[in-house]
Amino acid sequence: MVGQEVSLKQTTKLQKIWVGSKPYILALLIAFGITGAIIGLLGYNVLKAYQTLLFTSFTSQRGIIETLKKFIPLTLTTYAFAIPFKIRFFNIGGWGQMLFGGTITAIVGIALAGFNLPAIIFIPILILVAMAAGGVFALIAGFLKAYYNINPIISTIMLNFIAIYFVNFIATTEPWKAPRTGHPMSLKLPEAARLPELFGQIHFGIVIVALVIIAVYYLINKTVLGYEIIATGINPDAASVYGIKMRRTLMLTFLIGGALGGLAGGIEVMGVHQRLIEGFALTSGAQYGIFGILTALICQGNPLGVPLSSIFISILLVGADAMQRTLQVPVELVFLSQAIIVLFIVVLRRRAGGSFIQ
Amino acid sequence: MVKENKVLEAKNVSKRFGEVQALDKVNFDLNEGEIHGLLGENGAGKTTLMNILYGLFTEDEGEIYIRGERVKINSPLDSIKLGIGMIHQSSTLVPEFTALENLILGTDGNKMSLELKDAEKEIEQFQKDFGLKFPLHTKVKDLPAGLKKKIEIIRAIYRGANILILDEPTTSLVQEEFEKLLESLKKMVAEGVTIVFITHKIKEVIQACDRASVLTGGIMQGTIDTKKATKEDLVQLMFQDAEINITESAIPIINLPDVEKTSEPILKLQNISAQSKEKDGINLDSISLKIYGGEILGIAGISGNGQKELAEVIIDPNNITKGKLILKGKKINGMSTNKVFSRKVSYIPEDRKKESIIGLGNITENVLLGHQREPRFQKKGIIKWDKVTREAKNIINEFQVKTPNEKKKAGKLSGGNIQRVVIGRALINELDLLVTHSPTAGLDMASVEFVFKRLVELRSKGTAVLYINEDLDELMQVSDRIGVIHEGKIVEIFGQDQFDKYKIGSKMIGG
Repeated sequence: MVGQEVSLKQTTKLQKIWVGSKPYILALLIAFGITGAIIGLLGYNVLKAYQTLLFTSFTSQRGIIETLKKFIPLTLTTYAFAIPFKIRFFNIGGWGQMLFGGTITAIVGIALAGFNLPAIIFIPILILVAMAAGGVFALIAGFLKAYYNINPIISTIMLNFIAIYFVNFIATTEPWKAPRTGHPMSLKLPEAARLPELFGQIHFGIVIVALVIIAVYYLINKTVLGYEIIATGINPDAASVYGIKMRRTLMLTFLIGGALGGLAGGIEVMGVHQRLIEGFALTSGAQYGIFGILTALICQGNPLGVPLSSIFISILLVGADAMQRTLQVPVELVFLSQAIIVLFIVVLRRRAGGSFIQ
Repeated sequence: MVKENKVLEAKNVSKRFGEVQALDKVNFDLNEGEIHGLLGENGAGKTTLMNILYGLFTEDEGEIYIRGERVKINSPLDSIKLGIGMIHQSSTLVPEFTALENLILGTDGNKMSLELKDAEKEIEQFQKDFGLKFPLHTKVKDLPAGLKKKIEIIRAIYRGANILILDEPTTSLVQEEFEKLLESLKKMVAEGVTIVFITHKIKEVIQACDRASVLTGGIMQGTIDTKKATKEDLVQLMFQDAEINITESAIPIINLPDVEKTSEPILKLQNISAQSKEKDGINLDSISLKIYGGEILGIAGISGNGQKELAEVIIDPNNITKGKLILKGKKINGMSTNKVFSRKVSYIPEDRKKESIIGLGNITENVLLGHQREPRFQKKGIIKWDKVTREAKNIINEFQVKTPNEKKKAGKLSGGNIQRVVIGRALINELDLLVTHSPTAGLDMASVEFVFKRLVELRSKGTAVLYINEDLDELMQVSDRIGVIHEGKIVEIFGQDQFDKYKIGSKMIGG
């Protein structure tokens, strides 16, 4: 009797996992099917393309490093979208926040160059600067929503443009611009402001991201603020009736999301390029901030889902780059499959009766 | 014995929603020209049955006959063709349209122009015949709830309905309006219309109906002739195993013990005017009230006359434009909700699913709502979930919440169980003041009694209770005094010895 009950329970648990993962598996199959068909129709070798797309990340050490390098900023811009998304607002500005955070980091880093700060002080300062810059930049949108009811989709998109031109301005203007270069870029950051490399391979950003993942999980699940964010997201009416301050919560989510977007920018500047350079927030020709939206939608903004879906997209991005290099398959085809994945996941999840938000 | 002419018969109708058997082999029939009461508690399946007849749901099993002919009703279009009209509990009129435009909407006619003259004449004739008067050229959003009901009834008749389903038509009507509506319905019946009258009030069935059927838990308990039946017969059908004493209005009888009131009021509203938070809400207009510890002050009024605003001005006194709000001798104008709550005040809102709970959160998470910043549940911003869980378990035990455990999503609980959680949460701390708005709406009898008992217990402990409710019968059961709110003003306060349904009712509609 008892044994039977146990086995019954296990079946239901397995069923639950199946029901939960079904939309994802189906969406993947459909998306890869469509993309494969197009790749085939364009006359490329489909099998080889897939092999390259899915396994490049694992076949060499370089692949792993490249994947992690994409994973770091992508995870952060995913949180930039996911955290305001917890209260059902769309931060389309992860991109602008990343650019702004990176730019301010470069400005401060160059300005402090003369002080000969040790890395142990210099790096934390710049990390905080990057976060503050991105946070304040996003807070503009949060403030406009809270006090003037301006849709954050609009304000964050507009702020993106400001950030793009701000990067260009700094990277092409004295005293920041690097002399004698064709491409807009700033002077190099001093040695002590660059993120050290672990094992001579991957920069310290990976540790920062690991800490961020833990912190966000802790914030959402264990703290009063996290509770208030979730409660407001599920039912803003009940939340406000029971004393949760709507404006404050709203602005805080933008501040936190923006700070992580800004951090992504700071890390890229300090860890990868060691300077501000036009296009530093791009990967495979598209913005990390835009991929962050896709990545967050795949996992519905679940704090622990973010790194998972982020690593998945990073693998595809590395694969896509390789596919373009070796097979001349345009990288855009992979973007296509990513878009299809997101669309189908959203649709299938809806059909499965799951809610869009939770 | 005259052979009765069955206009509608439903045989063995079953309907299942997920795990819930909403209807289980239900038989139901209508005689031509009768008012047929459909009685049952909330969730008994009344509306489900009617929605099937109206084509909003399709039955899983069973057969439906209209005038002896087997029919399959797949959509409201089918049912309108068959002469069935349904008036839903909440208005389905377009607020921006006038009554006339609403009546024309969706009917055939000249498709190229809006020539309303002929229609207007026809409608005026209906209005005269049935005594259902309402202005045809005023936008519906500017009309009171009672009139909207009339428009919807005329709309159904105008579209050729001869079987009319009224889903809880009296929810927002006072006694006087109910009697007028009843007169009109009787006139319609005389013209050959058959009416289904859905309600959970036994009294209305006895007053209004020729026959009545009782549904409980999706099972048809039987149909009786109300002219021969007594209230007790209906009670017997409705609450076979209940041990609750109830009044004629099917409300649990509660005795208010003698309690000494505090000498000073717990809460004083001095000439309070306040802006509504909602766009089309009612602004409060110079309200003065005193609520003492150890009393239940009832607030009566037709829905939408400022009740919500009154409750909210107390727990969130930020929109006050004039006057003083004094809690235990201290002015609290402009104070935040958190601070008000921390002064031993709690609130049970009107709309459970919308305002009381975070539906996708589990019971534990809901128990924390409103308490999340109290030191006992958090330290330096970190929630002590073990303490919250313990509290949730306590509430489940003490308040008999029917749930497997505290991890169940609150939104999946029944209305009565949600309310038990909400009340339990409100009573975690000792209270000086409880503000509560229609806490019994839509609850089964046992839960209504439960809520009443808790309110009376609080009163005995010396808590001041502000009890807002649209249901006058319920208010009269548990209130020490009843204030009537009309268009944002308290128009009169009745002491217990002056409780009279007609007098209070006439004040409610501005008399």
